[in-house]
Amino acid sequence: MSLRFSRRPASRSLLASLCIWAGAAALGLGSFAASAQGVIRFGAPLPITGPLAPEALKQQQGYDLWAEQVNKAGGIKVGAKKMKVEIVYTDYQSNTPRAVQTAEKLVTQDKVDFLFSPFGSGAAKAASTVSEKYGMPTIAATASSSQVYDQGYKYLFGTFTPNDTLTTPLADIVKLKAAGVRKVAILARNDLFPLAIAQEMEKAAKERGMEVVFFEKYAINTLDHSAALSQIKSKAPHWIFATGYINDLVLIKKQMADQKMEAPVVTMIAGPAYQEFIDAAGKGAENITSAAWWHPSARYKGVDIFGTPANYAKLFREKYKSEPDYAQASASVSGVLFQIAIEKAGSLDKVKVRDELARMNLQTFWGPVKFGPTGQITSLEPPVFQIQNGKTVVVFPAAIKQGELKLGVK
Amino acid sequence: MLGFQVILNGLVLGCLYACIAAGFSLVWGVLNVINLMHGSFIVLGSYLAWGAYNTLGFGPWTTLLIAAPLFFTLGYAVQRGILNRVIAAPVLVTLTLTFGLDLMLNNAMLVAFKADYRRMILDPPLGTWSWGELVVPVDRVIAMLFALLLTLALYLILRRSRIGRAIVAVRLDREAARLMGVDVPSIYATAFGFGAAMAGCAGVLLAMIFPISPISSGTYLGKAFVVCVLGGLGSVPGAVVGGLFLGLVESLGALAFGPEHAVTLSFTLLIVFLIVRPHGLLGKRGFE
Amino acid sequence: MAMMRALPGSFRIALLLLVLLAALPFFGSAYGMRLGTIACMYAIMAVSWNVIGGFAGYPSFATAAFFGSGAYCGGILLGKGWPILAALGAAGLLAFVSALLFGIVLLRLRGHYFAIASLAVAEVLRELTNAAADLTGGGMGLNIPLAVKGSGSVLGEASFFFWAMWALLMTAFVSVRLIQTSKLGFGLACIKQNESAADMIGVNATLYKSLAFAFSGVFVAMAGVLYAAWVHYIEPGDVFDVLFAVKPIVMALLGGVGSPAGAVLGAFAFLGIEELVWRNYLQIHSGVLGFLVVVLLLFLPNGLMSMSQALRARFAGKAAG
Repeated sequence: MSLRFSRRPASRSLLASLCIWAGAAALGLGSFAASAQGVIRFGAPLPITGPLAPEALKQQQGYDLWAEQVNKAGGIKVGAKKMKVEIVYTDYQSNTPRAVQTAEKLVTQDKVDFLFSPFGSGAAKAASTVSEKYGMPTIAATASSSQVYDQGYKYLFGTFTPNDTLTTPLADIVKLKAAGVRKVAILARNDLFPLAIAQEMEKAAKERGMEVVFFEKYAINTLDHSAALSQIKSKAPHWIFATGYINDLVLIKKQMADQKMEAPVVTMIAGPAYQEFIDAAGKGAENITSAAWWHPSARYKGVDIFGTPANYAKLFREKYKSEPDYAQASASVSGVLFQIAIEKAGSLDKVKVRDELARMNLQTFWGPVKFGPTGQITSLEPPVFQIQNGKTVVVFPAAIKQGELKLGVK
Repeated sequence: MLGFQVILNGLVLGCLYACIAAGFSLVWGVLNVINLMHGSFIVLGSYLAWGAYNTLGFGPWTTLLIAAPLFFTLGYAVQRGILNRVIAAPVLVTLTLTFGLDLMLNNAMLVAFKADYRRMILDPPLGTWSWGELVVPVDRVIAMLFALLLTLALYLILRRSRIGRAIVAVRLDREAARLMGVDVPSIYATAFGFGAAMAGCAGVLLAMIFPISPISSGTYLGKAFVVCVLGGLGSVPGAVVGGLFLGLVESLGALAFGPEHAVTLSFTLLIVFLIVRPHGLLGKRGFE
Repeated sequence: MAMMRALPGSFRIALLLLVLLAALPFFGSAYGMRLGTIACMYAIMAVSWNVIGGFAGYPSFATAAFFGSGAYCGGILLGKGWPILAALGAAGLLAFVSALLFGIVLLRLRGHYFAIASLAVAEVLRELTNAAADLTGGGMGLNIPLAVKGSGSVLGEASFFFWAMWALLMTAFVSVRLIQTSKLGFGLACIKQNESAADMIGVNATLYKSLAFAFSGVFVAMAGVLYAAWVHYIEPGDVFDVLFAVKPIVMALLGGVGSPAGAVLGAFAFLGIEELVWRNYLQIHSGVLGFLVVVLLLFLPNGLMSMSQALRARFAGKAAG
């Protein structure tokens, strides 16, 4: 890169900028024209750098596992021939505008056949306008807010049921098993998903006659929760409900132990489903409850390439030497659903694949899959689970439960 | 009772803030360089503590002995090799340079350690101390004591040792110090080395308390900014006072206005201090 | 004097390039137009920053604050059904007036102190936006209705926003250029050289600096409005991003501080580099970008600013002789 501003900075940088743009154009044409025949390309914008980077790792694991399994089996059957799959990753730097730009780049420059949404509800919503513009079937693996789907868009589908499907069963089982729980304290990260789920929790608690004695938000880069926790402690709630991402929740749990806070029920969303949370919170994680859209102990019998959650977990362990959680499974199932829709459509035609997705009604390792009129999945019943002896144990719904809800979190 | 507990929380937190900011303040005050790598240095120190504990079984206090010389060397080398070339350039150039260096360092950590949050879990856990209703976590107290000790050590080095007095002399008047025969570039590098060593040691201590990830560096840097301005630039006692003040304000602010406003409050305070009392609670007026 | 300080050659080149750029929608794809729109947006920021950072010599990090407040002001007004031109005017006026008032206080600070204070303004505004959830949606973000009726077609909408941003860039570019050659520009140059001396020869430093601060904000805030209308969805963390404060400075450094034409070209060059690096390195693009920034700064040990000053002095000398 010969950017030396030896004499006249402005005209030199003009020259440089022309060269760079020319280079960018040449590169853009060169590298993407070579897309091999017989390969189906999926675009996956990921937050590889920036604050959401830990989530990108999970998404990537899920997509990679699916692609590997499909290619091992010879590829996706499109009409008469089998086509291998390729996932095109780009980094959107945990920045929503960049996510939209990335989606448009994947569609128009990389010429991907299908698209996965960027992480989370906010970015998925912002990027869905691109999918709609280009008629690009898109599956969001990590967007739960119903506001993402109620824009009247036809090409966006999501594998997460709305937020209240997590809080309702939680409130139900607590009401059922712990009749003494009357006072609830809620501490929420002031961010799209964590705040939305906290508001659902507040609603669910009030509907069941519980009193919400504390409801506060904390700012995104909060480094210390002791003041809020001391306040919660002084109210002596029976149920402490904290939302945030894994780092927030690990810190909150640690500081709760620091302040010797105890409560019959402590619920955290969305960290405890991750093995990293259990590792990082150590013994303090014991008896924490949470809810998620999927759990490896669920007993679904699917028609897809993974078949059952148990088989998915086995393949996952073989590849990554760790336990899968809902985030990775959701990424994998997004691929699975495209695969099924493409095979049914018998072509890569975007409208046909979109129609197959819309009318899909079948069993997968992720659970029964049927999308509502907005494109958001309606058929799931998210399990409630609890960390017992360093493992996640499903306590609700009754059909798949592995243990009983235990009270008392230290 | 709640009030006392919150004040206690604030004081303990404040000591951690002091520890985060001391090195940053030194570098800003002496070199007139805002080192945007400071946050990443702290995270790197945390990874060092995490690795040393999990592979070699070293407790954080042992790791401090390794971290201090290691980070001093790193800082010295960065200053001598890179920063020193532009040290006389305008504010924006040095700032942008450390911005670029930070992008590199942080990206390297992201690739090397992955973005996953790690946590160092001491076994057996250190537990908490309590007096009646009041509780205080032991790990924070230890970190606090070490932080105060380190800051005191830095203070003594600056006040008593030959090299320290040279650093102070350069801070007060670079030209005069040069004329008196002080090797200014080497003093700059030493001061930067001390700053990096303080950051690394802070990281080692914070590993006991906070989850570790490259993406936390910005938060630490933000705290360092605020503490520095509150306490006064380049003054080690100023960092302690600024840190304690910030810890108290955040804790009491969270109690009074709700936790979501704690950050707003600290930055508002920063602007007010800059305008009304730019030389901080302690400390002399720094470089303009 | 004012004319001599300028680089008429590069100014004309930049102007020509900008006029040519306007034809992009006739050739470019939708993605090309997106890049073009972003390039214009950053060029607006870099050109505007020059007024306070380049002419007056105050290292402002307030660009993110102007952009974010413009985006939110625009987003809220558009949500209330205001036409986009009215929202643009309102956000611009708000930014101008508040920058003028804040400037009186903030611009008493110099050097790093001013830099930090201007950076903190963005932080405070971001948190306030987060807190005022009733008005701004807080952490849930703000949805903005489509501002342009009948923009159903992909290319139609893309070219509308491209041209809008381009027109704003032209306005900013010409205005900043006019400021540079005006009495205000002369006063700012005096302030940059020696503020107390400027005061003595009758330059009202406080007023001039505040005006410069206000002019550095007005177009950025308007760009924020266009941006909000363009993307339909904004979050506090995205529009008050500290990178919006840092990147325009790097761009201005790249093109030569104090030259509006340089800022435009620097913005285009920087975005070109960034796009190239980002495309080719999935994991390490930010590190590579950092490396390039470091190398650029080290190539010129005294910084690009001194270089452009030296050049200006030489041109001035030539013209005089």
